[in-house]
Amino acid sequence: MAETTTLSNPLREGIRIHSTPEPCAMVIFGASGDLTKRKLIPALFYLSRERMLPAGFSVIGCGRTPATDDSFRDEMGEAVKNYLKLSSESDELLESFSKGIYYVANDFSKPEAYSQLKIVLDRLDRERGTSGNRLFYLATPPSFFPVIVKHLGAAGLAKPRPESWTRIIIEKPFGRDLANARELNRTVTEVFSEEQIYRIDHYLGKETVQNLLVFRYANGIFEPFWNRRYINHVQLSVAEDLGVENRGSYYEEAGLMRDMIQNHVLQLLSLVAMEPPATFDATSVRDEKAKVLRAIRPFTAEQIDEFTVRAQYVAGWVGGKKVPAYRGEAKVSPTSVTETYAAVKFYIDNWRWADVPFYLRSGKRLAKRVSEISIQFRRVPHLLFKGAGSDGLEPNVLSVNVQPNEGISLKFCAKLPGATMQIRPVQMMFRYGESFGAPPPTAYETLLLDCMLGDATLFNRSDAVELSWELVDPILARWREEGSKGLATYAAGSWGPAEADALIERDGRQWQRV
Amino acid sequence: MAGIIEPVGLGEARPVDVSNLEAELSALWRTAAEDPTAESAVTRACTLTLLIYVESDEAAYEVTNLVAEVTRQNPCRAIIMTLEPHAASSGLEAWVSAHCHLPVAGEKQVCSEQITIRARGEAGRGLPSVVLPLTVSGLPIFLWWRAAGFSPPVYFDDILRVTQHVIVDSARFSPGTTHLQDLAAWLHKVAGKIQLTDLNWNRITPWRQLIAQGFDSPERRPYLDRLTRVRIEYEQDSARLVTQRAQGLLLSAWLASRLGWHLLRCERKDASQPRTFYFKSANGTVVVERSFRRVDNPCGVCFTIELIAEGASAARFSFSRGPDGKVVKTLAEVPGLAPIGRSVRLEVLDEAEILNEELKLGVRDRLYEEALSMVARMISS
Repeated sequence: MAETTTLSNPLREGIRIHSTPEPCAMVIFGASGDLTKRKLIPALFYLSRERMLPAGFSVIGCGRTPATDDSFRDEMGEAVKNYLKLSSESDELLESFSKGIYYVANDFSKPEAYSQLKIVLDRLDRERGTSGNRLFYLATPPSFFPVIVKHLGAAGLAKPRPESWTRIIIEKPFGRDLANARELNRTVTEVFSEEQIYRIDHYLGKETVQNLLVFRYANGIFEPFWNRRYINHVQLSVAEDLGVENRGSYYEEAGLMRDMIQNHVLQLLSLVAMEPPATFDATSVRDEKAKVLRAIRPFTAEQIDEFTVRAQYVAGWVGGKKVPAYRGEAKVSPTSVTETYAAVKFYIDNWRWADVPFYLRSGKRLAKRVSEISIQFRRVPHLLFKGAGSDGLEPNVLSVNVQPNEGISLKFCAKLPGATMQIRPVQMMFRYGESFGAPPPTAYETLLLDCMLGDATLFNRSDAVELSWELVDPILARWREEGSKGLATYAAGSWGPAEADALIERDGRQWQRV
Repeated sequence: MAGIIEPVGLGEARPVDVSNLEAELSALWRTAAEDPTAESAVTRACTLTLLIYVESDEAAYEVTNLVAEVTRQNPCRAIIMTLEPHAASSGLEAWVSAHCHLPVAGEKQVCSEQITIRARGEAGRGLPSVVLPLTVSGLPIFLWWRAAGFSPPVYFDDILRVTQHVIVDSARFSPGTTHLQDLAAWLHKVAGKIQLTDLNWNRITPWRQLIAQGFDSPERRPYLDRLTRVRIEYEQDSARLVTQRAQGLLLSAWLASRLGWHLLRCERKDASQPRTFYFKSANGTVVVERSFRRVDNPCGVCFTIELIAEGASAARFSFSRGPDGKVVKTLAEVPGLAPIGRSVRLEVLDEAEILNEELKLGVRDRLYEEALSMVARMISS
């Protein structure tokens, strides 16, 4: 038996290059699913190829589908080739990565499966030096989460060995309502401690989302203006041009509010509105985000009708192609009242944001795929330049583009060159692609690496998840009660229903053109 | 000089009045903004000032092409300085040009500016007075010293005083000279005021990362303290021999400084091979052997490093780049554990790529400072 040590590695210290995690094994439940093939394995291959993963890093796919190590390796190899568009030059690298992939075929609702998994993990510790460090990834449908977690606990796989770590990543949606999320949190925390749990929201792994924190807290000029005194309102738009694709049955259950607003959009909102954390660590950042969610004013039943809009797309045109109505999509009921669009106006009741509305909108089959945060500043108190094109003078807007062109822009007014005083809005733009050339890493690469390194800053904590559901639950209940009454429609390929325009226009404002 | 700079993107390099460079640059951008043939708007971007010292017109030409690449990832104002102190005539000449990058559909064309200044004879003393006003206010200043040694003339002190980062490339240093010792001595003098980095050191950063990863697992970590031999092999007859030789020296110095080895002595066992170094570690003597090797399929960048623990519980860690020049194979053989091998991508980055990495990092590298100090001792021994 080889001797082990807990000594630090002096060769690791000070290398001016990204950190690499300690050797570990990652277990993926739901290994034959789409997420594993499209996102997880390609992200892991990329990290491995670029030397960001440790030697001996191993992946164990778990699923009921019968497969062997070799057939699973072949399947994952094909997935990597397809999704990363690899050339044949990468064959050797892919083969090397594939050697660290294993498969355990079993029914993971049965305890025997976990005994089998434990044997494989122990073997990899010996053979590949994974050192007892384990990362479990739940990429299954949510209904399997509690079962897998309980079995991991019962098999003794949740408790880390001395000098090792064990972590679990749980995919969204984390629960389907508040009661369910609480129950799931209870189940998971009975087995894993909160420090071991990483609730993933891939939006938080996007470069611009992280840059939002740098932008606010590494620059002296913005934070003094980041409050009710200078900001008129905030808009968050998360638009997709795609429909529900082949996820009709999932979407019928979820709807847009659960799929987008409860997680991605509220997470973005909390990053925009949070107070400066004392330090940039997981606890401080997540404490501040939770405070924001706690301060959002809950709605009364009447306010839900006034402050929210839900809608469903009807047939239309997207990118020059005719697309069907939501009710005409596969596995969708022809009488469905599931919302594919939602707009909400929230207020945050604290000193920084009192009376500043936050308008949120998100939808499927909108005009284009774009996610943007727009901070609209107050107008100047007095207009000096009468008749200089200043009557409709546009307010300053700071836009944070989350996708697809990650960057930040500021709109301000400038004088047109010439003898007369003519004013026009201009934009000052920072784009990742322009300023730094190289494209940023994908969200899954960032988040998987963060988890292996033990950095939970960009993952959700239980209190934030439950607070989000507390906000969303009453809205969903009211919509359920109302059924088809109050469900607006919009043409696929448009910017959403007229009712959403009315929601913001009632306040004398307009949606930003994103 | 008209032949030195090829047109790159936005117009040809044009000779301009040295005393009026800022106005000439403004004119250049105005021309770009008014260009009726441009298919997209032009955005001027700048994240730093990059001063580049070169020794000849030919080098200035090479660098112009590199700058075009560098500005893709690090938009900057690049100022190329050519010094010809022994020229018969005396004078300062300047050219301005821009490097533009084609946008993706619907995006703006991003451009950076380049100023090229040639100083001949006595006029070289006036170079700082032209360069200093051209540095972009509020942004960091990098001086890339692209020459066969680092020996700035005294009148460069004014430029060094405002420079935060000096970048050299020891791969360019003439073999058999004292340039690395001189650099170590200079660094000691300016300690803490200027950050010094070496592109050749950055070329081995991924190697250092791989070697470090080899000892991450608790089962393999103990062998780091039991190393007795380090073997570094370079490809013989390679055009990059000087580069690789300096890299081998830097790698050895890094291992020695990180692992607390003390230099005992060196000896040359074979006149055709580099010297062997002997270090004292906490557990005995470590021999660092470097050698040239003929390879079956030469690629110019074949390189192997082996770390060996000899004795009763022998272990071997090897890292080897083969003939394809793009993949490094690693292998760890430790008693009681199955051998672990893997292949990872480690391509040889070109000069522009490696410079881009350095410009992005822009932070003090204490490990390099330690290693350079050890290299100076190794060369002097």
